[in-house]
Amino acid sequence: MGEKTDVKQGTLALMVLKTLDVLGPLHGWGIARRIEQISGDLLSVNQGTLYPLLLRLEQEGSIDSDWGASENNRRARYYKLTRAGRRELQNEVQEWQQTTEIMARFLAAKAEEL
Amino acid sequence: MKLLRRMWNKTGNFATGRSGQQRLREEMEEHVAMQTQENLRAGMTQIEARRQALLKWGAREAVREQYHAEKGLPLLETMLQDVRFAGRMLRKSPVFSMVAVLTLALGIGANAAIFTLINALLLKNLPVADPKTLVRLGNDNACCVGIGWQDDGEYSFFSTDSYQYLRKNVPEFEDLAAMQAGFAYRPVIVRMDRSGDAPRSVMGEFVSGNYFRAFGLNAAAGRVLQDRDDVAGAPFTAMMSYETWTTRFNSDANVVGSTFRVNTKPVTVVGIAPKGFYGDRLLPTPPEFYLPIESMPGLANVPYVHNSDLQWLYIIGRVKPGVSQGMLQEKVNTLLRHQLAGTNHFSDKDGPEKLRKIHVVLSAGGGGIQSMQEGYDKQLRMLMTASGLVLLIACANLANLLLVRGMARKAEMNVRTALGARRGRIVRQLLTESVLLASAGGVAGLAVAYAGTRMLLAMAFPGADSVPINASPSLTVLGFAFGLSLLTGVLFGVAPAWVASKATPADALRGGTRSVAGGATVLQTSLVVLQAGLSLVLLVCAGLFGKSLSKLEHIDLKLDPVNRYIVHINPQTAGYSQRQVGPLYRAIEERFHALPGVEKVGITSYTPMEDNNNGWGVQIQGKPEHNAIASYIKVNPDYFDSVGTHVVRGRGILATDTVDAPHVAVVNNEFVRQLFKPGENPIGQHFGGGMKSAGDWEIVGVVEDTAYQSATWKDHMMYFVPTLQRPMSATPESIDEDENMYAGAVVLKTNRPVPEMEELARKTLAGINPNLSVVRFQTFSAQIGEQFSQARLLSRLTTLFGGLALLLATLGLYGVTAYGVARRTAEIGIRMALGAARTKVTAMVMRGAMVQALIGLALGVPTAMFCVKYVSSQLYEIKSVDGWVLAGSVVVLTLAATVAGWIPARRAASINPVQALRVE
Repeated sequence: MGEKTDVKQGTLALMVLKTLDVLGPLHGWGIARRIEQISGDLLSVNQGTLYPLLLRLEQEGSIDSDWGASENNRRARYYKLTRAGRRELQNEVQEWQQTTEIMARFLAAKAEEL
Repeated sequence: MKLLRRMWNKTGNFATGRSGQQRLREEMEEHVAMQTQENLRAGMTQIEARRQALLKWGAREAVREQYHAEKGLPLLETMLQDVRFAGRMLRKSPVFSMVAVLTLALGIGANAAIFTLINALLLKNLPVADPKTLVRLGNDNACCVGIGWQDDGEYSFFSTDSYQYLRKNVPEFEDLAAMQAGFAYRPVIVRMDRSGDAPRSVMGEFVSGNYFRAFGLNAAAGRVLQDRDDVAGAPFTAMMSYETWTTRFNSDANVVGSTFRVNTKPVTVVGIAPKGFYGDRLLPTPPEFYLPIESMPGLANVPYVHNSDLQWLYIIGRVKPGVSQGMLQEKVNTLLRHQLAGTNHFSDKDGPEKLRKIHVVLSAGGGGIQSMQEGYDKQLRMLMTASGLVLLIACANLANLLLVRGMARKAEMNVRTALGARRGRIVRQLLTESVLLASAGGVAGLAVAYAGTRMLLAMAFPGADSVPINASPSLTVLGFAFGLSLLTGVLFGVAPAWVASKATPADALRGGTRSVAGGATVLQTSLVVLQAGLSLVLLVCAGLFGKSLSKLEHIDLKLDPVNRYIVHINPQTAGYSQRQVGPLYRAIEERFHALPGVEKVGITSYTPMEDNNNGWGVQIQGKPEHNAIASYIKVNPDYFDSVGTHVVRGRGILATDTVDAPHVAVVNNEFVRQLFKPGENPIGQHFGGGMKSAGDWEIVGVVEDTAYQSATWKDHMMYFVPTLQRPMSATPESIDEDENMYAGAVVLKTNRPVPEMEELARKTLAGINPNLSVVRFQTFSAQIGEQFSQARLLSRLTTLFGGLALLLATLGLYGVTAYGVARRTAEIGIRMALGAARTKVTAMVMRGAMVQALIGLALGVPTAMFCVKYVSSQLYEIKSVDGWVLAGSVVVLTLAATVAGWIPARRAASINPVQALRVE
């Protein structure tokens, strides 16, 4: 039943975690907007798909959520990083950096270097 | 860890039914509101801003579903949904569901019942510690007291001396225990001391002192027997079975340490055997008391305990770890030869030759002594096959029902496909239905199995109240039954599911159900043919067993059971010595003759048609050595009349044949036929046990060949001698060891039925001596009937299975035919509208059904003929298929097929053409 997205599996989750790490507790729209701003087109449509992901992260224990008042004084659900989430983020970032480094080196390699 | 927590949360949500939809709705509202604000700030109109925000949110339903899936366990949920739906569908067609569940229940139940019995009888180990390390010395059921030497030299039971010698000299055994081989034939009379209870005749087994230790058993109360109890001169001790303790003494703790009278002698019960222990072999009546071997001469007054020539013990030992069985067997053989070399039996000139042949075969001892198993093995396996066939038929039936249903629901599947259901989803739905059906059948089958096992036990061991077999199916059986039903469900659920899932939606809209090419498929037809063929085989078997039974029951037994009663007694256990029995027998004759209605009072060693025999060698004086064995019975003057045996030549035993009179014998026809030339007059001839003693008895009469032991035991020689006379050549003092002096039964012939005879017999015996009790009381007819109980059981069960098969096959044929008619309603309507007569329609439908049945018959008849050779060993004088039985089975099956075809045919003929055409 999985819907195909253009985003690589896990990438969006990492973005969510990073956003919460940088900006602190935030509601869903805020997270979506932030990701949209930084990543450009990603999440410019299908913002709704963010919510099942948030739920998953919460069930995994990486984030926590609670009701709070939004800017226009309505009830909104605020998400924040848990300690486990912070660890998770560190791991993911490290892994991601490693992967990109390896890929970068690999792609930059020229015939004479091999 | 992450995954674990996620699954945990999911399961929790699923279990508590939290869906989180409310939260998502609120979050979405908020999200859209914020986006709308943002859009407004960007200068859109109110309406446009909201529209764009909603667009940005994306597919609302998809998000909702993803969210839901994330929250709970979607797979399980759809499964539950499927199950609920399947349940609803099955409820909607109750006849189909009932027939399917019933079919499965009967098929599975019959199998599980037989399997439970096989498991209990043939496969189960004794309830002892570590049964795998137990080894039995010997592997056959030689019983009960024997003077060694079989021609092949194989030893399976032993003398006390052999046992003690082996126990001392084979250190490879942790413990070597010995037990009485023939305790079932020698009940003990037990009465609790200082209680008003009448003495009871019960099973008591004499065992070695280390018996319970060797089996690794502890007492449920008190202590187990020990070696110090099993010493000559030790105080008499016994252990009581747990069953007896609980049922007869209410688990009274005071039983331990109390004194019982065993064969009138005081014996202290030192402990209660563990719960569930039924002795070293499976018997319908397990031992109630376990007594030390060394107390046997004192309690049972038998001569063989310390006679090194007489074998009477089975031996089971627990081997130490790491001992090779082959080496052990060699060692036991060598030691046994060495021990036997010193006995009388091997001191003659053939001795060394015989000694060399002597050997013991070690066999697994964990199952105990396989005494009952041997008798039931073949029959149980045959019944297993029969019940397997029934299951096969049941499965074919279920498959057919599912196929029919799958076809009938084609339209439904089409509509579903058209509405967007995926093929996998439909297949899953149909599979769920058949699995549900199979499970229901499995559960119902267990109920049938439980009831069936109880019925089987009651039929197999009539009158036995403590058969140590539990009727509740074990875990293995449980798994077996469920596995079978699930496999059936899945297997035959897949085919229709697959067929149905191939539906194209367009069919549904085109009205695919109106088709002339309806009717059953080849698969369905072949299933019906298979059922018909198999049920014919089972019917023929049932017929043969019925015929075999009736043949057995109509054998001329050459006796008369009308108004005769058999009172088994045991003067030995009442404390009589061999020298005291004369006055006892006189008293029995006098007292019983004094009872009103009693015409004849026979006294005998044993009676016709009971499980007993006493064979001795015979040698006619003046003839070359002929090595013949004849059954030996001591009887009083009234005996022949009391059982209805006619004297055909000379005279019977007379009152004048006293101890001091000339020694006479009456022989049976077979004795004369085998040992004398035709025309030779046997009267006045002498015979004895061997060449030296050939003058022991003078033949004074010949009687007909009354059936002893069993109806099928033919051509055996017998001789009858007066109760108190002993062979001339026997020394006077050997009377003290002469077991044959003891009578085993009193046979009463009355001039009318005497229903209270049992009570009268009890009182009369007690009047002679309070210790003289009735070991067993039966009418002669009941005793004879018992000999046929096994044949009757087989006949009943095969009839049951045959009937079951017939019922299932009929149902199957009916189902397929009825389905065909339903499918062809429109076609038949058109035919009739075009002028087809009702009779023609009926004939058309009937023809279809009968052709299938006939093909089944054509296949079944040769199969049945072929199968007979596998069951003929269980039949009495039937070697091939009997014409009448075959014809009868064919007729029954044809009749059933006619009924199965007639009902749908009638329905087809009653179709109203106008209505039929309007249906779609």
